[in-house]
Amino acid sequence: MSVEMQRKKCATLALGETHMSVANVMATPNANVRFWIITMLLVLIGLATLKLR
Amino acid sequence: MLLALAQSLSQDIRFFNVFNYITLRAVLAAMTALLISFMVGPAMIRKLAAMKIGQSVRTDGPQTHLVKAGTPTMGGALILTSVAITTLLWGDLHNAYIWVVLFATLGVGAIGWVDDYRKVVHRNPKGLSAGAKMFWQSLVALAVGIYLWKTSTLPAQTELIVPFFKYLVFPLGALAFIVLVYLVIVGSSNAVNLTDGLDGLAILPTVMVSGALAIFAYVAGHAVFSKYLGVPYIPGAGELAVFCLAISGAGLAFLWFNAYPAEVFMGDVGALALGAALGTVAVIIRQELVLFIMGGVFVVEAVSVMLQVSYFKYTKRRYGTGKRILLMAPLHHHFEQKGWKETQVVVRFWIITMLLVLIGLATLKLR
Repeated sequence: MSVEMQRKKCATLALGETHMSVANVMATPNANVRFWIITMLLVLIGLATLKLR
Repeated sequence: MLLALAQSLSQDIRFFNVFNYITLRAVLAAMTALLISFMVGPAMIRKLAAMKIGQSVRTDGPQTHLVKAGTPTMGGALILTSVAITTLLWGDLHNAYIWVVLFATLGVGAIGWVDDYRKVVHRNPKGLSAGAKMFWQSLVALAVGIYLWKTSTLPAQTELIVPFFKYLVFPLGALAFIVLVYLVIVGSSNAVNLTDGLDGLAILPTVMVSGALAIFAYVAGHAVFSKYLGVPYIPGAGELAVFCLAISGAGLAFLWFNAYPAEVFMGDVGALALGAALGTVAVIIRQELVLFIMGGVFVVEAVSVMLQVSYFKYTKRRYGTGKRILLMAPLHHHFEQKGWKETQVVVRFWIITMLLVLIGLATLKLR
């Protein structure tokens, strides 16, 4: 746990979520691609609402 | 399997009729393959690492890649397992095309598996010899070609369709058709394998092309849509959308672990099989030339290797010393040698594939 977290009790290691992932040992490109994958899935779910109603 | 279950349940409960829709089953297949890969992936990577099934890195390749030595490989087995399970769960098992694509994918995957196994477990750097690999790939491709020819009942099932031209169609004889099927399956299988040299480089284009082929398969299997869009009507081909989206789902989940810096590589077991899968779907739905466009990155990578090797051999014979066209082959290594970072090469090749897939999809309407 970082010194800052121990002192102030932060919810995440860093803000935003991407920095938190990077601080949490994930490499930057890795975090990028995983966030893209999540976005792709969310877009697909959004598109699925066209048919599923 | 679940389709048969739903059909029997629908006699009592009408809600289960919804599973007759290919679109719903295809979306569910993507989600199922994604979930299976996400759930099994971490355990499989740990197991591969524990078994020391690590990639050996070519010493004549970029020096920056030497740190990748020992990264678990054969992760393609994860993709193939989840695609096979998902297709068996959501596909119509009475549909012959489902069995044809599973045969080609798993058959070529088995060749890749033997090659990987010899390389990483038996520490035999040559793996399966190039000749043996080509022989078994050819056998699978020819079996598919002969089966498709023998079972074809409509002229559209064996014609060569030229994209962007509504009436430019070439009827093929038995030999031409089987040779075309052979070239497409073996060519795409090896092209995807050659592209699989950087983290995530092969898998996302495979996901995108497979997603687009799902749309083509759905249209080709739909009597009304195929007539409206002027694409050949192939009865039963719509079911391949389930298979294609299973590849997209499993591939997307694999990318989660394969993104730079990769935790696992797919190995020949994945790359050869996925290429064969794309090729087989394309020949069934008669969209080989559209696959050629959408898989342009795979094509260029394969051509770069062929040109480099041919030119080197030619200049060596003619002048005594071999000369090279590219700084290094396949093409992605050339750009690395030019100073591009690995992630830049990968993302730029993804962007190019996105554009090519859009051009491929445009052929649905523009003809």
